[in-house]
Amino acid sequence: MSNNHFTIALAGNANVGKSVIFNQLTGLHQHIGNWPGKTVEKAEGTLHFKGHTIDIIDLPGIYSLSTFSMEELVSREYIVTEKPDLVINVVDASLLERNLFFTLQLLELETPMIVALNQIDMAKKKGILIDYKKAENILGIPIVPTVAVSGKGIYEMLETAIEVIEKKRKTEPLKPLYGKEIEERIEKLVKLLNKTQLRYPARWAAIKLLDEDKEVEKEVLEVSPKIVAVAEKLRAELEEIHGHSCPTVVTSERYQVASRISKEIQEITAPLKTPMREKLHTATTHKIFGYPIMLAAILTVFVAIFSFGDFTSTFLGDLFLGLKPAFDSVLGTGIVGELVWGGAIEGVVGGITVALPYILPFYFILYLFEDSGYLSRIAFLMDNLMHKMGLHGKAFIPVMLSFGCNVPGCLGCRIMETPRERLLTAFVVTLVPCAATSVIILGLVGTYVGIQWALALYIINLIIIFVLGRIAFKALPGEPTELIMEMSDYRMPHIKTVAKQTWFRLREFIVMAFPLIIAGSFVIKIAEVANLLDPIANIISPVTVTWLGLPAVTGIALIFGVLRKELTLIMLATLFATTNFALVMTPVQMIVFTLVVMLYIPCVATIGALVKEFGWKKALLITVFEIVFALLVGGIAFRLLAL
Amino acid sequence: MELPLTELKNGETGVIISTDPSSEGKQMCKHRARKGRKKHFTTELCIKRLTDLGLTPGTEITVVKSAPFNGPLEVCVRGSRLAIGRGMASRILVEAER
Repeated sequence: MSNNHFTIALAGNANVGKSVIFNQLTGLHQHIGNWPGKTVEKAEGTLHFKGHTIDIIDLPGIYSLSTFSMEELVSREYIVTEKPDLVINVVDASLLERNLFFTLQLLELETPMIVALNQIDMAKKKGILIDYKKAENILGIPIVPTVAVSGKGIYEMLETAIEVIEKKRKTEPLKPLYGKEIEERIEKLVKLLNKTQLRYPARWAAIKLLDEDKEVEKEVLEVSPKIVAVAEKLRAELEEIHGHSCPTVVTSERYQVASRISKEIQEITAPLKTPMREKLHTATTHKIFGYPIMLAAILTVFVAIFSFGDFTSTFLGDLFLGLKPAFDSVLGTGIVGELVWGGAIEGVVGGITVALPYILPFYFILYLFEDSGYLSRIAFLMDNLMHKMGLHGKAFIPVMLSFGCNVPGCLGCRIMETPRERLLTAFVVTLVPCAATSVIILGLVGTYVGIQWALALYIINLIIIFVLGRIAFKALPGEPTELIMEMSDYRMPHIKTVAKQTWFRLREFIVMAFPLIIAGSFVIKIAEVANLLDPIANIISPVTVTWLGLPAVTGIALIFGVLRKELTLIMLATLFATTNFALVMTPVQMIVFTLVVMLYIPCVATIGALVKEFGWKKALLITVFEIVFALLVGGIAFRLLAL
Repeated sequence: MELPLTELKNGETGVIISTDPSSEGKQMCKHRARKGRKKHFTTELCIKRLTDLGLTPGTEITVVKSAPFNGPLEVCVRGSRLAIGRGMASRILVEAER
């Protein structure tokens, strides 16, 4: 580390405005990726301040430094191993007690730190006044009041951070003390731990051993099994004394410290009238009105996105098609030209006409919802339904996303806590009919068979999702976790933060999906140029014609559908040389075809997302299962409908 | 009166006695230690998260409302608003003034 190159990590609870501070600090100089080997997002950025170059790491929003989630593990691993020059603990001034609970844990980790007391404007509105000076005295570290959304206090926060890093400002961090029984036992363990070479501070490790922390226990076991045995004995003693499990006792006492400090430094006068955000909360979580409000909100979003998307998509598509004559004049209409146009260019065009008109507004509104706090209310309302599939309310969010596009749905499974639930949710998600599938359902069955049949297909799909979800839940080993979620206060979304998140997600989509779509287009184009499509259609005709009762050419359409599902309809029109499908397919054929398209395979981009999140094996398993299942359902439907 | 959180009426406040159904008192702790804990891994995780969020014994907890069809409970603890699944909530034992 050179003298003017520092690393600062932002740490704090979820919903405290941490990412807003991160954006204020780093502007456009950000990089969002994953923590190595983890599906936990890592946001990094660089900042130049008074001749210093500062790397900022935005740690995930967490409530504790235990091992509940990968986010917690990643955060503490980072602080312990990477040893940032400073941790800025972002604290929600209106929820002092719980936030201090986390601050105390950072103090225990003995990392150099300051506190950014954020959302003080909000706290004031809630009637909470905080004595910063007193807080500084008690905690022994600098505390800077900030209002992240307006940028207030950010400059002072940085100045203070530099002062502390350069040791121009002395700190005497508080050592949080527990009750006598616990302290005695911490001391015993510290004495033993001091003889070993651990990468953790001894006192922290001692506390964590009493806290029954599996990760710390594992590491201590390697250096000294005796200490672990002693810790177990001490834990049993504490459980005997307090009548609760030892982790509960430790947590409880830490909370007592947090509670005492917050009482000392804040003064609360409850506001007289109910604020707007509370009324909004009551309405949107109401046991009756909550549901129509939710339905209206979601439908509005989808209708808006689809009409906007349809318009923009057509516009962009025409624009690119308009370029074809110019393109032909350069490369000619020979095989090379056809390959490049049909493979690469059409792949890119296909990607762009999906990504920009649909994915972009989709993500934007999603993050608007999330930032405002509405998503957690939706999860609250839908918890019971998702429970029937062994999932909890949060799983509804990726499912909802998937009605737009399965890719964000799959990536959205990260909000689930355990790997088991992530996989289960992803499986359900890939069965949800996305926007492209809806185009087929409405464009083929809705138009030529009748809208009631289209609706029936949706209902059948939902039933299938439900039944398969339930079976998967029973089949997959492990227990379900339950919904435990904070519903933070409603607030105005911070547009810059929302826009930035949208942009990073869009980029992620492009980077992942585009190469797959282009490569896929190429392969199929080559097959077409080499006149392989008809033989392939013939090879799979036992399935398409005999088992599903479809015209042989639909086999080709189904192959194209792997790229993007709406291509099946476009290909059908090309292959039949008509868009009046009533002339070439019977209603039964249309229904069976649509049913198969709905279920048969996640599109190539979704498979890519599955691979990224769960690895090849599980992605392949889901894909193969869905192909087999779709054919099974299609064949049965054909026979039932033919009766 | 001692009862599970789910038994509280909307707007009622209780004081948490225990969040851990398997350790009612000291005997249960020993019992737990002997039995091995792998099996209840997820439940233990949930208990840990609850206590980390401030639901420790002795804390006041108010049930604001519950979602319909046996949905989750909305509770207020230490000034924050949480949603807790019903199954988990039924394991939280509270002392209520009745």
